[in-house]
Amino acid sequence: MTETPIGSPVDPRLLEILVCPLTKGPLEYDRAANELISRSARLAYPVRDGIPIMLPEEARALDG
Amino acid sequence: MSAPPVIFDRIVVRRHRDRAAPLVGRVEDVLRDCAERLLDRLDDTTRRFTLALDVGGRGVVAPLLRARGIVTVTCDLSPAMARLDGSGLAVAGDEEFLPFAPASFDLVVASLSLHWVNDLPGALIQLRRALRPDGLLLASLPALGTLAELRAALTDAEIGLAGGASPRVSPFPELRDCASLLQRAGFALPVADIEDLRLLYADPMDLARDLRAAGETNALALRDRGPTPASLLPRALAALPRAGERHAATLRFAVLTGWAPGPGQPKALRPGSAATSLASVLEDQPDRNRNLPARPA
Repeated sequence: MTETPIGSPVDPRLLEILVCPLTKGPLEYDRAANELISRSARLAYPVRDGIPIMLPEEARALDG
Repeated sequence: MSAPPVIFDRIVVRRHRDRAAPLVGRVEDVLRDCAERLLDRLDDTTRRFTLALDVGGRGVVAPLLRARGIVTVTCDLSPAMARLDGSGLAVAGDEEFLPFAPASFDLVVASLSLHWVNDLPGALIQLRRALRPDGLLLASLPALGTLAELRAALTDAEIGLAGGASPRVSPFPELRDCASLLQRAGFALPVADIEDLRLLYADPMDLARDLRAAGETNALALRDRGPTPASLLPRALAALPRAGERHAATLRFAVLTGWAPGPGQPKALRPGSAATSLASVLEDQPDRNRNLPARPA
């Protein structure tokens, strides 16, 4: 990965309650890429300025 | 399961809110007035709330909740609108695909923010699931009668100009629909009532500017996508009813309260479970029977 972390990290209180909007499955927080990863939907949701963007149309599809 | 009807173009709803984010200060007073009327309902309960979700509060609702000492997460379909909240507890999320785990909050507040949702029953069910047992939903929705003057003026003006009319103001629910919506979504003790807010404009074009600043312009899926005649809006707005020197527009909103089912909530008894007959109670209190008609022998 060549991406550098962008902006501030997610507030830990949000990490406790956020789930994937499509599958309602759990999310993994990738601190380096500043992304929230939903294995069940195979999507990575971006975090911008500390704001998780939980919109499937803004998410990156996980390959492989 | 059949898909809900597509009434609103959600991409356009988001675009309107993105565009409105830098302008929303223009309508902050109206939004705050509506939010305060909604949050007044919190004074009717002795419950204390610890973690709230603000849905689509446009930078106005979350600070009011935090001023009451409630930690508040804010969520908006528009990332730009979510960014108005500087607390670090903002999320961009879709009310139709809510990104929160079950039983996350003990209070959900949606001040004038659920009326661009296509599947309102579905959104309410998701909000109920995001609530802990005995958590409270407070929501306001524009109800039938909102912008009725504008709807009539636009229709008249468009018929005059184009010989026909296209949908320009959203369909709004009636009060009785609101209470049954809550019930259908599984809320206990559902209540819906109506509040009116009358807006007066010296320059009627300010109404159009305010709607744009609130992100409330036409996002109907069936909207006319052709160019709008330039004279339509001025012509319609000039025809708005006058109150003295100024033009009037009514914001009529339904206030919805409902509780996520929980133990210890008041419930109706099972029919037939009473141990005392009403007749025996009345016979035991002859004083109270004075005004009753004589019982047949």
